[in-house]
Amino acid sequence: MNIETIPVGLGELKSGTGPNQVLVCYGLGSCIGIALYDAAHHVGVMVHVVLPDSSLNRGQLVQPGKFADTAVPAALAEAVRLGAVRSRLVARIAGGARMLNVAGTVTKLDIGSRNIEAVRATLMAHGVAPAADDTGGTYGRTLQLFVGTGRLLVSTVGRGEREL
Amino acid sequence: MNLTQNEYQALYAIVQKGLDNSSKSLSTMTTGGIRLLDPKVEFLPLNVVPGIAGGPAAVVAAVYLGIEGDLNGHLMFLFTLKAAMRVVDMLIEAPGGTTTELDEIGLSALAETGNVCGSAFLNALSDRTGLKIVPTTPVVVTDMAGAILESVVTELYLNGDEVLMVETGFNEEIPGHFLLMPDQDSMARLVAALEAIG
Repeated sequence: MNIETIPVGLGELKSGTGPNQVLVCYGLGSCIGIALYDAAHHVGVMVHVVLPDSSLNRGQLVQPGKFADTAVPAALAEAVRLGAVRSRLVARIAGGARMLNVAGTVTKLDIGSRNIEAVRATLMAHGVAPAADDTGGTYGRTLQLFVGTGRLLVSTVGRGEREL
Repeated sequence: MNLTQNEYQALYAIVQKGLDNSSKSLSTMTTGGIRLLDPKVEFLPLNVVPGIAGGPAAVVAAVYLGIEGDLNGHLMFLFTLKAAMRVVDMLIEAPGGTTTELDEIGLSALAETGNVCGSAFLNALSDRTGLKIVPTTPVVVTDMAGAILESVVTELYLNGDEVLMVETGFNEEIPGHFLLMPDQDSMARLVAALEAIG
């Protein structure tokens, strides 16, 4: 079976129902990858969340996947559109690292922890508290969701792989 | 954001001058082994930035310097691990291939290279524009290029959707990237400074 890899770039929301599809967030740093999965209907959705709140938006492009508060409802709607049952959806998250630990700067470059908080809170507000997570730390993560099985793999540089 | 032809030319000349300064300081440190190539100066949408150094999953050694003062932004050097070890060899004046892992000494040698090279560049930028530019202490990270760049991109996203990217590589022996990314709010001050020169 040929694996079809679907990269999920910054602020993007991608989905799939194909048994050979793999949704991938490559190199998550401070961003968060949210994976939604309905095991009964083999529906997978992945979002690459960049910032905690859409009120931070000062640009022109509006991608719902970019902000935690807009990404979660958009991802849920997409899963349901593809035939998932809302109450069966399992959410798992990874990312939110602090990659660049600059001495003396507290708020700067620590969007990671704000992202973790915002994604968790938004998922909970929508009734899909994360079932598993691998967040924080000071290292990057690649997140792969195998749509056929629901397997979710977190890989790192020098820290091995882990299933969520 | 758009620069006029004159502003662009003024900026390009300053960048080139800055890179000359950096190359000179690198020559002193590495007895001429490392040179910076001609730069590209362009506006890039932020969502493509995590992929510009060999793809988001490429493993790199990065030296990061924050920029503060009149100009706020980020300066970064990204090397493949092999190139990073080659840089360390040059710094400790050892034959190529001597360094086989990036230990504490190697990482601090890289930090120092980034510091000297980055400061030389920023000094030229500061001299020509009259802007006050202060680099932060360097941070060295070895990880996926996407994860490292993403952390800078998220912060730049707070001000807009694109970045003025000054990008250059090193000579063939050292595959790597040198990136300067001022934030959007600094652009007005930069442009005003360029107009004053132009």
